Amino acid sequence: MRARAILALALNGFRESRRNRVTVVVFAFAFAMIFLATFALGFTVATFERVLTDVGLGVMGIITAVLTVFLGVGLIPKEIERRTIFMIVSKPIRRSDFILGRYLGNVLTIYAIVAMMAVLFYAQVLVEGAPLRASHVVAAFGLMLEATLLSAVAFAFAAWSSQFVAGVATIGLYFLGHMAGDLFRMAERQTEPFAKLVMKGMYYVLPNLGRLDFKLRATYDDATSAAELLGATTYTLAYTALLLTIACLTFERRDFK
Amino acid sequence: MSTHAAITTAGLAKTYRVGFWGRRVLALQETTLSIAAGQIYGLLGPNGAGKSTFIKLLLNLIQPTAGSALVFGRPPTDAEGRAQVGYLPENPTPYEYLTGAEFVRLAGVLAGLRGTELEQRVTEVIGLVGMSGAAGLQIRRYSKGMTQRVSLAQALVAKPKLLILDEPTSGLDVLGRQLIREIILEQRRQGTTVLLCSHIIPDVEALCDRVAVVIGGKILKEGSVAELLEQDASGVELTVSHVDEATVNAMTSATVTASRLGERWLLRLDEGQSPAVLRRVLDAGGRVVHLQRTRYSLEDLFVRAVKESGRSVGSTVE
Ligand SMILES: Nc1ncnc2c1ncn2[C@@H]1O[C@H](COP(=O)(O)OP(=O)(O)O)[C@@H](O)[C@H]1O
Ligand SMILES: [Mg+2]
Repeated sequence: MRARAILALALNGFRESRRNRVTVVVFAFAFAMIFLATFALGFTVATFERVLTDVGLGVMGIITAVLTVFLGVGLIPKEIERRTIFMIVSKPIRRSDFILGRYLGNVLTIYAIVAMMAVLFYAQVLVEGAPLRASHVVAAFGLMLEATLLSAVAFAFAAWSSQFVAGVATIGLYFLGHMAGDLFRMAERQTEPFAKLVMKGMYYVLPNLGRLDFKLRATYDDATSAAELLGATTYTLAYTALLLTIACLTFERRDFK
Repeated sequence: MSTHAAITTAGLAKTYRVGFWGRRVLALQETTLSIAAGQIYGLLGPNGAGKSTFIKLLLNLIQPTAGSALVFGRPPTDAEGRAQVGYLPENPTPYEYLTGAEFVRLAGVLAGLRGTELEQRVTEVIGLVGMSGAAGLQIRRYSKGMTQRVSLAQALVAKPKLLILDEPTSGLDVLGRQLIREIILEQRRQGTTVLLCSHIIPDVEALCDRVAVVIGGKILKEGSVAELLEQDASGVELTVSHVDEATVNAMTSATVTASRLGERWLLRLDEGQSPAVLRRVLDAGGRVVHLQRTRYSLEDLFVRAVKESGRSVGSTVE
């Protein structure tokens, strides 16, 4: 019963984004960007493959992050503001079913968009006569992991705050999350014990998005081990589960006026 | 199976905090009420009286500040309990990217329907609200009335035992209003309990078995419609002629109202005052054309209750 409701809401969210003009426009924009960015750059034969990978994946990464923040932060507040939520949560479902269903629909949408961008990118790589490498696929998978975690961050904030607050917080955590690795290295070099503690603490608490980022490895075609990928996946799922639990708990007692 | 009242509340209250200083708005004050199953129960009150607040508390859309509520013996936080309840919100906003049929189907799935039963019910309720022709159209293309109808359909889809309707006829034309009235009456014939919230007196008077008059977050009167009207039914309507305007004006007060009917005057007054008024009319050389005891309408009752409460809209702010 619960699974059915969650699935219905997820599929409905997926349908919403397909019919939503904004998503379609962003998607068309992404397509154009990936093409144009790689062609507009003059590159020499020696660096050709590297630049193609760098720019192509870079654009995919930016678009995925923007889309994830944009979609994740707006969903719940809009449902409350437009009062569309009234006829949904008054059904025999739990509030947490609503959050989980909406979350799943959201990440499904983003997975589909990342997958389509990736296919386009690979097609371009092949057309240019460059080899398609495993590291390319790993990089796209990393983007999906990042979208999974970042969406959960957005939901954890949007469940109890406004779209604006959730947006600022999520964008902030996106950048901090990518700097988490640097923070750890800085902490290592830090001599002041208290500062060292704070920095290490932040490293462990912040979502470590750098760990899910395999774009640079694709550029230099460094291999990623299966154990490393499994570790990143497990980390993403565990952190996401924690964030969604927070989202569900804070949403449980919220008033819809 | 024990026989629960459809709805019971005990000291149910909701206070909102608004503005920078957190002023308290007493949207609903301690309300203790029991609504028996199988009837159409009206909540009548002006805008801002607290009707929607009451409903939202029953559906767990908001948390009470104090007190408790039970719907068929289960608290609003019990999700499964809502399987028995259909809800039409005030100014409903279904997902506008869906077609009418898709939205009703989604509602059906969330209410626990599946398979052929789901499809059957979706077709049935869409037909019931007269939306078969536009069921395939996206809701963003709907008029207010069509949106209202589809939203009523989603409330009915899972054959609820309790139907909660918040201002169901708002934004509807005459035909739409009539249709909704018929649907409500048909629902009661089938044994559904209906909680009807409205500020439209004729709707409440025509449909409801019992009514609570809510003003300023408080229930001021409660009872069967017939009973409530009976309580104050001791009015008199007096038609007189051959009296001048000054004489009439001298007699009018809060409890005696006059209106001109050509050469005659129609006086409405409480029964207790009729000897005094009659005497004054006759003393002034007037003639009595017609004298009749009247039943108060719900409207009179309502207007009085509003006057007695000393407020016309809104709720108490502290
Ligand atoms: N979200 C809210 N924040 C502050 N005050 C509110 C809120 N919702 C309703 N109120 C106030 O509570 C009172 C009752 O509102 P409501 O239940 O919507 O009345 P009704 O449905 O009878 O028109 C009104 O005075 C209204 O201004
Ligand atoms: Mg209302």
